[in-house]
Amino acid sequence: MQARRRAGRERRGVVARRAPLIDERLRDVVGVLFAQNVKIRYRGSILGIVWSALSPLGMAAVYTAIFGPTFARYYGGSHLLYGAAVYIGLVLIGFFIAATSECTTVLVQNGGLLNKVRIPFEAFPLAAVSAHAFQLLAGSIPLLLVLSVVMNRDPWHALLLAVPFAALIMLAAGVGLMTSAAGVFFRDTPHLYELATFLLWVTTPVFYPAAIVPARLAHFLIINPLYAIVQTSRDLVLTAAIPPPWMFGLSLGEGALVLVGGIAAFRAMRTRFMDHV
Amino acid sequence: MISLRGVQLDRRTREEFDDDVKSRVIGLLTGRARRARRKTVLAGVDLEIAAGEKVALIGPNGAGKSTILKVICGVLTPTAGVAEVRGRVAPLLELGAGFNPELSVVDNVALYGVLLGLDRRTIDARLEAILQFAELEEYRRYPVRALSSGMAARLGFAIATDADADILLVDEALSVGDESFRAKSRRRIDALWHAHRTVVIVSHDLALVRSMCEKVVWMDHGRIVAVGPPGEIVDRYVRAVDQAAVTALLRAVDV
Repeated sequence: MQARRRAGRERRGVVARRAPLIDERLRDVVGVLFAQNVKIRYRGSILGIVWSALSPLGMAAVYTAIFGPTFARYYGGSHLLYGAAVYIGLVLIGFFIAATSECTTVLVQNGGLLNKVRIPFEAFPLAAVSAHAFQLLAGSIPLLLVLSVVMNRDPWHALLLAVPFAALIMLAAGVGLMTSAAGVFFRDTPHLYELATFLLWVTTPVFYPAAIVPARLAHFLIINPLYAIVQTSRDLVLTAAIPPPWMFGLSLGEGALVLVGGIAAFRAMRTRFMDHV
Repeated sequence: MISLRGVQLDRRTREEFDDDVKSRVIGLLTGRARRARRKTVLAGVDLEIAAGEKVALIGPNGAGKSTILKVICGVLTPTAGVAEVRGRVAPLLELGAGFNPELSVVDNVALYGVLLGLDRRTIDARLEAILQFAELEEYRRYPVRALSSGMAARLGFAIATDADADILLVDEALSVGDESFRAKSRRRIDALWHAHRTVVIVSHDLALVRSMCEKVVWMDHGRIVAVGPPGEIVDRYVRAVDQAAVTALLRAVDV
C-alpha cells in the first residue's frame, strides 16, 4: 500500500511538467496558505469576522444618510431598501477589489520563497482570493439570508444567491490570476490597478440606482461583469421577483470566461516568472 | 538519480529598472526601448549523480553552485539542455525561511512541510515526531515569533530532515542550535548520509567536504572546472585560490 502510493507520487513527479488542472500538490499548498491568511487576519477570534461584517454596514449607513433622500424614490421611497441595496453592492464589489488588489503583490512578496522551493505559482493568488471569499461568505451571508427571508419570505431566493456568488468568486479568481502575473512583470501594477478599480467602482451601480444611467451608456454597463452579479444578488434579496434566467447565465458565463482566460494567461506567462520575482 | 546534460541557464540581469509600465511606455515612445539583457549563469553543465552519492559543490561566490541546486529542485528551468531528476527532492531551506512568525508552531509545521513538498497527510501523521525531535512539544501553541532563533532553526531542521526524500539539497550551514542539539542534528545528517540518500551540498567548509563527501564538483563562472574525489579536487582548488591570492598580492605590490 505504502509502496504503491510512493510509486504514484514518483510517477507524478516525472510528468509534473504538464500538470493537471488541479493537482494534489496545488490543493495542499493553497490549503496551508489559505489557513495562514485566515488565521492571521482573524487571530483565531470570531470577533474579527464580525468586525469585517460591520464595516460595510457602517458605510451603507453613511451612503443612505447622504444619498438616501435623492435615490430612495427608485426603491419605492424606502430608505431601508436603498440602504440594503447599497450594502449588497458594497460587500460584493469590496470583496472583488480587495481580493484582486492583494493579488497584485502576492507573487513578488513571496519571491524569496519561490526562489528556494518549487511551489505552484498560482497557489498564491488562489489562496489570497479564497481567504477573501471566506471573509465574504462568513461576514455577509448570514445577514443576506436574514434580509432575504424578511424581505420576500421565500427561501428559494436565498438558495439562488449561490449563483451570483459563485460567478463573483470565479471572476475574482480569474482577474486575480491576471493581476498577480502583471504584478510580477510590472512593479507599478498596484498603482495602475488602483485606477482600474476606481473605474470599476464608478461603472458599477453600487450607491446609485442603475436606472439613472443614460440609456446610451447603459448598454456598456453590461460589459462590466460585476453589473449582472450585483443586480442579480440585489433582486434576489430585496424583491419578490426572481431575475430572468439570462441574468444568471450572463453572470456565470462572464465569471467562467474570465476564470478560464485568467488560467490560460497565467499558464502562458508562468515560465517567465522566475526571471522577475 | 540526477542527470544534467548540457544544461545552460540564461537569466535576465537585474541592473535595469524598466520593469514597470510607466518606464516601458516612455521607453517605447522615445524609441529607447531595449530588450532585457540576459546573462549566462550556467553554461554547458554536465553532471551525473548516482542514487546514494554524496556530492559537494565548491567554488567562489557567484560560480553557480546554488543555481545548480535550484535547477535540481525545479525552481529554475534550464534554457537549454536537459535536467533529469528521479526521486523526491527536499531542499533544505535556510532554516526558518518560510515560517510565518505569527502562526503557532503546529501551523508552521504544516506550512513549512507543505512548502517543502510533503503532502498534508504525511505531515499531520509526523507532527508529534517532528515536535519531539525539535524538543518543542511544550511550545506547540506558541507563535513562532515567541521562540528563540535557535528554537526556530531546530524546528526548521526537524521538518526539513523528516521529509522522506530521496534527494537532499543543502545550501551551507549544517549546524543549528546549541551544543546538544548540534550533536543530535549531526547524528541525523549522518543517518541520512548513510541511508543511501543522495545528498548534494554547497559548502565553503572544505574540511567537511573532504571528510564527508564522495565526489566534489569545482565550479567557476557557471562552468564545471573539475569533478573528482574530494582529496584531489579540494587540493587543486585550494592551490588555485592561493595562487590567485599571491598574484593579486604581487600586483598590488607592483603598483
